[in-house]
Amino acid sequence: MIQKKICMLGAFAVGKTSLVSRYVSSLFSEKYLTTVGVKVDKKQLTVDGHDVTLMLWDLYGQDDYQNVKSSQLQGMSGYLLVVDGTRSATLEIARQLQQKASQTVSGVPFILLLNKVDLASEWEIDEPAFFKLVEQGWRVIRTSAKTGEGVDEAFFQLTRAMLAPRPPHEAL
Amino acid sequence: MAGAADRAPRPLDEDARRARSESDPDPEIASLRRILWGREQHRLMALQARLEDPVTRAEDIGEVLPQVLVQHAHDPNLARALTPPLERAITASVKRNPTPLADALFPVMGPAIRKAVAASLASMLDSLNRTLEHAVSWRSIQWRVEAMRTGRSFGEIVLMKTLLFRVEQVFLIERESGLLLQHVHSGAAGLQDADMISGMLSAIRDFVRDSFRVADTEALESLKVGDLSVWIEAGPRAVLAAVIRGTAPAEYRRRLQIAIETVHLEFASELESFDGDTSAFSLSRPTLETCLQTEYRADARRPRTRWSWVLAAAAILALAVWGGLSYRARAREARYVEALRAEPGLIVVSTGRTGGKFVVSGLRDPRARDPQTLIAGTGLAPEGVEGRWGAYYALDPALVLTRAGDLLKPPAGVALALSQGVLSAAGDAPVEWITEARRLAPFVAGVAVFDPSEAFDAAARSIITRLESQALLFVKGAARLVAGQDRILENIQAEARRLDALAAAAGRRYVLEVVGHTDADGPDEANLPLSLARADVVREALAETGVTHLDLATTGVGSGQPVAESPDETDKQKNRRTAIRVVRPGAR
Repeated sequence: MIQKKICMLGAFAVGKTSLVSRYVSSLFSEKYLTTVGVKVDKKQLTVDGHDVTLMLWDLYGQDDYQNVKSSQLQGMSGYLLVVDGTRSATLEIARQLQQKASQTVSGVPFILLLNKVDLASEWEIDEPAFFKLVEQGWRVIRTSAKTGEGVDEAFFQLTRAMLAPRPPHEAL
Repeated sequence: MAGAADRAPRPLDEDARRARSESDPDPEIASLRRILWGREQHRLMALQARLEDPVTRAEDIGEVLPQVLVQHAHDPNLARALTPPLERAITASVKRNPTPLADALFPVMGPAIRKAVAASLASMLDSLNRTLEHAVSWRSIQWRVEAMRTGRSFGEIVLMKTLLFRVEQVFLIERESGLLLQHVHSGAAGLQDADMISGMLSAIRDFVRDSFRVADTEALESLKVGDLSVWIEAGPRAVLAAVIRGTAPAEYRRRLQIAIETVHLEFASELESFDGDTSAFSLSRPTLETCLQTEYRADARRPRTRWSWVLAAAAILALAVWGGLSYRARAREARYVEALRAEPGLIVVSTGRTGGKFVVSGLRDPRARDPQTLIAGTGLAPEGVEGRWGAYYALDPALVLTRAGDLLKPPAGVALALSQGVLSAAGDAPVEWITEARRLAPFVAGVAVFDPSEAFDAAARSIITRLESQALLFVKGAARLVAGQDRILENIQAEARRLDALAAAAGRRYVLEVVGHTDADGPDEANLPLSLARADVVREALAETGVTHLDLATTGVGSGQPVAESPDETDKQKNRRTAIRVVRPGAR
């Protein structure tokens, strides 16, 4: 049995919690997020014949990356960076969070989730910005907490990346 | 360089070779070398040979091995290292031939089995005691009430009250990621998803450490909520968390430390290269299970014992009182039954208690005493006694006599008596009654025979007395009654008839002898015939009555038996008479 710790990082109100709430087993209420600052959920999936249990650390939304506790990131095998497509400021925060994460735990795969794809008409993050990220070698998936679009895909891709012997983002 | 690496452990060899190759161009240096270091070189070569010879090396190790084992006997690493080969050796030995091992173990097996049996018996007794205690004690009643009140199960309450502490779950958690490596638990008390708890526990540890800015070496060691606490013992790479219900002693911390140390020792490489694969850690279960401890409360106060004594004493007292009362009731009942049995006409068949009443069943003669009247004096309450009596005729003499009296109605002066089934009547009774009694008596239950002879005797005696007491007076010189004597004659006739009837009834015969008398006047030759003539007159008169069972006879005695001897005419008249003498032939 393989277990992996992954973290959900993102600015305040980008929809991290609602993004995963439909896809994971929960034991703890969302109250933990505001009190302890973290809520641990579980997601089981099979990737390339491996049964994998993801322990999903949903970290309380922080607009200031400095408030993210490195202790919470330690031991993670990968992470999801969540950005609200309707607020371009959240992308900047995501960049900072990514830097913080890579300083704390180097060489682990991550995926940027461009959330709220259901509100695409209101998006502030335009195509050029999006392609810039991809060019940087970031893996980006458009998601919607409302429709569920891209969520399973995100978990699957991240898990596959984590199981791969040489993570493609190691160079970053 | 590859070839050199192969020979790396043999540097002496290489030195020697190098020395030789260097010596070749200059034999003087070589000889100088031999002179200077020849002895050492020789010794080194000997040492090398010794090291290379496996036989010698085995001998050397054999010499020191026992000492090494003795010196490191307490080193857990040595024991752990030796365990697998030893196990394999024993397995192989048993596979090949189990007899030697069985023979060797034989002397220790017996005591070991006995010990195990004794231990399991003791634990069974202990659990039996516990069960009994929980089943019947006052405390258990309180607990049951509490269980009902709080809606929890009785078992839960018992556990809560008797448990000193119980380690319900032990988590082995990877320190960095908070991932659960292994989880053991006792029972299924409130088990949640251990993976998530493990993660959250780690998050909370981080939270506490981050929030209160403590040093990196310090960390959360325990959490406490109500009677539940979580003890955390951290190692460099893994953390042990024990979920404890109740209050564990401080020494338990030492147990956790030993366990986390053991895990680090046994899984050093797995922990170091941990990449999410937890399967290897299933082997840590035995170590973690040593942490699943349970300890029950020692009953220092022993309220159970005190209460049991009070209850036992009360029970004994109640039993004694009940026994005493019961004994007294039994004694009273026995007295009553005894009185009933002594009473004629009452037969007690069975006794018993029904509906709180003492019930006596039996037979009762209608003329026997009322059984209820016998209750007085026994101490029993009349309303507590019920009699169920069937009627019967008793053969007790007293009752037979009463019954005979009721039927025969004897006249005053007549007494009935019973002896051996023979009823007899004593006293003067009319012949008619005797006759009737003789007819009825056989109908009286308990009377076999009626014997009227005494009654007949008595009746006859009174008739005979009256007959013999009456004299008839005669005119001087003649066989003729004095005027006025007729009435007496009629009386005599009536008595004679009565005696005749009696004789007929009793089947007897009487001889009635009329004796004639004269006065002293005149010569005997004349007086004797005169006296006989007078007797004949009376005999004739009696014969006229038609008696059949009386034999009439006459005797003339002249003047030989005067009743008065004076010459006075009045006395002379008294002598001119007849008298009657009654004899029953054959009777005494």
